[in-house]
Parts: sequence; structure tokens; C-alpha cells
Amino acid sequence: MTTVEQRTGLVGQGVDRVDGPLKVTGAARYPNDFSYPDLAYAALVRSTVAAGRISRLDTAAALASPGVLAVITHQNAPRLERAPDSGLTAPPPPLQDDRITFHGQYVAVVVADSAEEATAAARRVEAEYEPAEPILDMGDPRAEWITDPWGTDSSRGDLKGALASAEVRFEATYTTAANSNSPMGLFSTVAVWDGDDLTIHDSTQWPSYLRKAIAQVFSLPEGNVRVLCPYVGGAFGAGLRAWPHIMLAALAARTVGRPVKLVLTRPEMFTGVGHRTASEQCVKLGATRDGRLVALAHESTTPLQIEGTQFEPCTAGSASAYACPNVITRDRQVRLNIPWCNFMRAPGEAQGNFALESAMDELAYELGMDPLELRLRNYSEDNPRLELPWSSKSLRECYEVGAERFGWSRRSPEPGSMRDGDSLIGYGVAGVSFFWYQEPCEARATLRKDGTAVVRSAVTDIGTGTYTVMTQLSAECLGLDMAHVTFELGDSDLPAGAAAGGSGLTAAVGSAVQAACRNLVRAFLDTVRDDPTSPLQGCTIDEVSVGGGRIHRIDAPESGEAYADILAAHGIGELSADGSSTPNDPKVAGMAPSGAFAARFVEVRVDPDLGLMQVARVVSVVDAGRILNEKTATSQIMGGTVGGIGMAMLEEIVTDPGTGRVANATFGDYLIPVNADIPDMEVAFVGRPDRFNSVGVKGVGEIGLVGIGAAIANAVHHATGRRVRSLPITIEQLF
Amino acid sequence: MADDMTGGVPVATVARVGVTLTVNGADYRLDLDSRVTLLDALRDRLGMTGTKKGCDQGACGACTVMVDGKRVLSCLTLAAQCEGKDVTTIEGLAADGVLHAMQEAFVRHDAFQCGYCTSGQIMSAVCLLAEGRAGSDDAIRQFMSGNLCRCGAYGNIVAAIREVRDAGGHDA
Repeated sequence: MTTVEQRTGLVGQGVDRVDGPLKVTGAARYPNDFSYPDLAYAALVRSTVAAGRISRLDTAAALASPGVLAVITHQNAPRLERAPDSGLTAPPPPLQDDRITFHGQYVAVVVADSAEEATAAARRVEAEYEPAEPILDMGDPRAEWITDPWGTDSSRGDLKGALASAEVRFEATYTTAANSNSPMGLFSTVAVWDGDDLTIHDSTQWPSYLRKAIAQVFSLPEGNVRVLCPYVGGAFGAGLRAWPHIMLAALAARTVGRPVKLVLTRPEMFTGVGHRTASEQCVKLGATRDGRLVALAHESTTPLQIEGTQFEPCTAGSASAYACPNVITRDRQVRLNIPWCNFMRAPGEAQGNFALESAMDELAYELGMDPLELRLRNYSEDNPRLELPWSSKSLRECYEVGAERFGWSRRSPEPGSMRDGDSLIGYGVAGVSFFWYQEPCEARATLRKDGTAVVRSAVTDIGTGTYTVMTQLSAECLGLDMAHVTFELGDSDLPAGAAAGGSGLTAAVGSAVQAACRNLVRAFLDTVRDDPTSPLQGCTIDEVSVGGGRIHRIDAPESGEAYADILAAHGIGELSADGSSTPNDPKVAGMAPSGAFAARFVEVRVDPDLGLMQVARVVSVVDAGRILNEKTATSQIMGGTVGGIGMAMLEEIVTDPGTGRVANATFGDYLIPVNADIPDMEVAFVGRPDRFNSVGVKGVGEIGLVGIGAAIANAVHHATGRRVRSLPITIEQLF
Repeated sequence: MADDMTGGVPVATVARVGVTLTVNGADYRLDLDSRVTLLDALRDRLGMTGTKKGCDQGACGACTVMVDGKRVLSCLTLAAQCEGKDVTTIEGLAADGVLHAMQEAFVRHDAFQCGYCTSGQIMSAVCLLAEGRAGSDDAIRQFMSGNLCRCGAYGNIVAAIREVRDAGGHDA
């Protein structure tokens, strides 16, 4: 079977988002937009110490407050089971004991008739603590260290010997601050019980997992729980875990026997749904005089909460970034009394790339070489760690196209040598890779008697464009107009879906959608197999193609039959087929699975008198394999770039060193980029369809953030001669 | 406001206020807890959930609505303050199912991703044009900086506003 891709060119086109009209009219319904008759509201009480035990909880005043229905604490909460791991440990269920492990941990939930009453009463819960000395600093000798937490550490060749004998050596330490995902949508849960059936509206990126998790917490059969999330107000990784507040909303609803809505406050978003960890990283490089890397060591230490895991491999990308024979990469974690560490757009890579690509820039200056040339000279054609060819890699083209578009050749090498009026100008570049990731996924395709199709999978569209690109892909696979295809998601009752995470969703669900659509065409061929009146009688899937709402013979395109006609002729109301995808095996496929690659070029302008720094323009050239929708893919890269500018120049979670309290947990204090911070951005895609999945895509959700930190820091050095090895780069570091 | 005693613990009772809200041209008579914000009145009492709560602290702009023609943060406005004022929300922008020019431009330019800040961005953008502050890209960027977008659609938001401005604007 072939598709009509070449003729319609539907996939790839920058069509408008199919959910656009709903979003611009306020009609798209996010979890906290749902209401029910007799809805009650919950508000949370959080611990005011980072370590220790609750010594006294007095809920009488709260209970006596107007409208209050219940106050649940560890003293009266029923036993909840631990949610299953998703590959990562789930946070423990809340209110099960008196132990406190971070400032902001939930100690009570108050349920009332209105949100105002719940909020007011929550302030009346009196908690006293038997505090312990919290561990808040990675240098604290009491802290527990974890080496090689995920088995990703790597070693090849003889690093020590190569470093010792290298003609040029460079070593430096880099740090990055903790960042907050801070999606605009306050994470919210609306929980509704009907007997032992539980429906949850939630801000999740992974409804199939959340259903399993909540079912286990409440000891229910999985089929009793339904998770709904047709729209999610951003998440950037924060929606990948089954957070305690979700369990509390369900518990509150069961306790009061009414539907309950729980909307986290903005300050609670900083402690309750994870954050990107800070990092301390050391990079050692050894090179020949002519710029060939002979040694590369990258070691990272990141904080971790007191219990549970987080996958944050800051150094793993360095093992395969460059063709270098002697390499060591090491990650360590240190347990602290801090809120949960979790995925945030480009976990690990965001921090790790800053260190590696800053160090490469510094080495280029040591060598007196163009930083771009140094990267090209050490380009790895194959994956040097797996010693397999990449499933696709057009990073060289990214550099070349990017340099051309940016005007890299106009750069004069000497720091501080480029000016425009009062401004110092700096050019910076960074090379970027993002790791490959894919999960199993299922989908179902259905054709109805009116000739329209609906394709379904329990995945999410957190703003990435899944609704739109899967509609395009389904339409292509079935030979239908986009207007005749609906893609449904955001409901755990649909076929089990992969997480919107790890930049792996489009490959996972796209492959499942392709399979389901192909199986659906097969089902139509089965239907007409013995039908002498059908021009498709006896055709195999490889003998037909689709287009214009019909299946036709490849050898005789005029011989075909419309889906609707087949259904009508055989008295069938609708026909469905399932499809699934599982990740390929690199060894079987004989190739190293590639994530996206990119080259980032940044111009900064620095006013040396005032210390003001501005990113003036960004050129990003990305190899993300096949692009399903140029418009939404470009938006993903631009959005990631905005996140990168935030990480590079603004964002830092400040933890009070005495108490472990997050001291800047509001948008007034934790600064994220605003419109005026963002310059003109140019995005271009290069490369070919990837060979590792049937859709040919490599995810675009995270690559856009990676490399911006290093490119900005490198540009700052070029502008000012000052090397900043710590993010965010703030005015006091410049002068 | 009086104190009553429940279980020996003093509890401040809650003042109720009667208010008539005029939203998108229709009057709604509400009996409200005096603490209810315009945002919560719209969302929880009137079921108009197009206006979003992003911070409830006046720092993100997601809750921007128009009150008497001016952009206002509905999370920092008590519903009781809006008696006799004209409130326009995102639900009131499209006329008879036809999208406002700004809504159309936002779709065409992909000026949103998750869509959560979008109602506030559009209300702000419509007011911006009425204020005459969209003369240049830099001006648009400055005067739209009260509306945060974490997905990072800023460039496309500027493009959408620029297009509507160049087409002669659209009187909200």
C-alpha cells in the first residue's frame, strides 16, 4: 500500500491547528474548567519546615469555619497504597504519617462549599513541628550520594593517559540554577466518584499511567478510573507524575461524598509538581594543537529529593557528542530536603549541554580556532558510544545552513571587537543533540458510514500540536481530507497512549496511528474479498493505495471503491481497526537511534555602561527528521528557545538556606521571559526522514531549549571578554 | 461583619453582597461572598470558563478581561466592584459565531500552543490596538509584556497583532 503523500503533500504542510478556533474563543476546556452539581472545593495546607515531624495538628478552628465539610490530615486519612512506578518512583501517597521531608509538603487538605471558604479555613489549621536540621546544601557531609543512578555512566579509551599527554588541556566547572516548569495552567484536579468509579479531570501528560496510578492508590480495578485531559495548560514535564495533590482531590471527594475541585495556587506550583534540578558540572578536555579532541571528561552532580528517583542525565549526551577516543561521563545525585525534582523541558541535556558547549567554546579560544570549526573538526559521523551509524544525523548541515543564515563569517574573533554604537556585540554558537526516547503506544482508527474517520489514542496535546499533526497523518494514511478526520485524545478510556514526554510522543503515537490506519484499510479489503461487484475484490494491501475517500488499485487507479460505498454495500455501520507501536531495537535495526540535532546561533548586545544585556537574534537550524507540520514544529522550536532564554538569563529558584523554603514562588519573583525579552527568531529545518521509526520523525518538543544557554554564554564572552560559567547570567556577573 | 461562636472558636462570618454583573451585554444578578473576585464570579458562578486563572496574583495576565473598554486583571478585581460596569470576556468577542479579527490572526499565526494564556493575550491585544500602543514591534512587545506565555509563542503573538493593526485594526 502506498499513500497519497506525494500528491496531496498533506503531511508537512503548515496547516493551522485544528483546535485553534476552540482555543481563541475560550471554548477549549482545561481540567479546572469542569464543574459538577454540588461541587466542593479543596485547599491545601503545607509544611513550614523542611525536615522533621509534625508534633501537633489542630484542625478545630478550620473545621468550625463557614462552609467547611472536612479537614483531612495524617491523623484521620485512610491508608493509601503507593502508586506503581512508571520507570520512575511515584511520589508517596500524602498524609500517611507525620514525617516531613521538604518545605511545602502537604499536611492537610480542607474541603468546603466554596473555594473562598476552603482557602480561608486552610489558614486556620494550626500545625506545630519537631523540626530536624534540613540538608539543603550538596556539600553537607550528612547528605546521601548516589553514583551512576541510571547506569548511564560511560567510559571508553584511556582518559587519564590521553589528558596527560594532550597538547592542549582545558578544565572548568559550570553551574546551573534550579528552574521551575511553571506552565501557565495551574495544575488542577476535579475528582468525581460514582460508587467505586472515579472520574478525574487532571493536568496530566500521561492519562494511561495516571489511571493505573490512581487505581492502585485507592485499591481499585484500573477500569474503575477514568482520566480526562482534552486540554492541558502546558506542563513541560510537570505532568508526567502522579502527584500527591491528585490523590488528595480524589480522597477529599470520597470523604465528603461530593465532586471536589482542587486548583493549585501559583506558589504551590513551585513545590508540588517538580522542578529542574540545579547542577554542578566539571568538564575536562584534551586536544591536539590542530583541534582534534583526544580526551573528554564530563562529571555532574545534581540534587535529588529525599526519597524517590529522577532521571536527569546531564553528562550522557557528552558520550556521543563528538568523535573522541577517550571519554568518561559520570552523573551523581545528592539527596536534599527539597521539593520533588522532576522532568522539565530537556531534562539533563539543558544543563549538560551548557557545560559541554561552553567548554568547547573555551577550548576554541585556547586553540585560537573558530568555535564552529572546532565542532566540525570533531564531528561524529557514527554514534561513538554504541559504535553504530546514526539512524539520521544532519548536524553538519545544521551548522552550515545556520552559519550562512546568521552571517557567522562576519564575526571578528577577538572578544569585545564588535560594536554597534554604545553596544558591544557578541556572536555565540552551540551544537545540540537530544536523546532518543520512545514508548509503546496504541491507537484505533474508525471509518463511519458517512465516510468520515475518527482516530483515537489516550495521549495528550499539551500545546505541542498532537491533535493537528495526528489529524494530518491519519488523513494521509486513509486518503481523506483533513476536514473528514477527527483525532481524539485526552481520555484514558481510549487505546493506551504513550506519555507526552522525552520528545517521543509523535514517533510513538504516529507509528501506532499508521499501523491502525493500515489495518483499517486491510479490514476494508477483507470486507470486499469475496464481493464480485467490488473492483477491489481479492486485492492485497500492497496492491492498493488510498485517496479521495476511497481505496483504489495501484495498477488501475480508476478501479476503486469509496469507504462509504463499501460500508453501505455490506450493511456495516462503521469499521474499526487497532494499531500499536513498540520502540525498535538498536541492535536489531543495526543503527543508533537519533534524537534531534540542532545548531544554535545567537547574537547578544551588551551595554557596557549600564550592564544591560539583550539577546538580539537567534538562528536555529534543526534536524528533526520528517516534519509533520512546519508551522507547529517551528512554534515548538521558538517556544523552546524562549525557555532557553529564560534559563540563560532569568530563571532561578531561590531556596532560603536556613529553612529550605522556596523564597521566590510567584511570577513576580521567579522571572520567566516576557514578550519584550524575546528577539526575532529564525528557525529552519534540514535533514531527512529518520530511519528508526516508521513515521520518520524525531521529536521537536525539547531540542529548542537545548544549547541556548551555551550559545548565549559564548556570545557574552565574545561581546565582553567575560566568561560566565553559571546560569542564569545576571547583570552582576557581567561587570 | 459579626463574630459567631462555633465550638468555642471565634469564626468570622462572611459578608454577602448582591451585585449585578453585565457580561457580554447580558445582566446577571448574583448573591456573592464578598471575597469573590471577578475572575471566580465569571468562572465558578457564571460558568464562563474562557477567562483563565494563571496565578491569582495579578502577575501573569491570563485573566485579562475588558471592563468599560479597558483591560483589567479580573483576579485582582472584586466582583462587587463591577456593579454597573460593562464586562467583556473572550466569550463575547466573536459576534454571531464569526471570529474577531484578532482571534483569526492568532489562529493563522499559531500565536499559542497550550492555549491557556490565549484568552488573556487576545483581550489584551484587542485593547492594545484601541489604546493606540501598537505602533511598532517594540511597542507591541512592551505593552504585551503583562501577558505571560510559558509555551513561548511571543513572536507569533507580535505577528498576529501586527497583522490586525496593518489591516486597519478592529474596533473592539
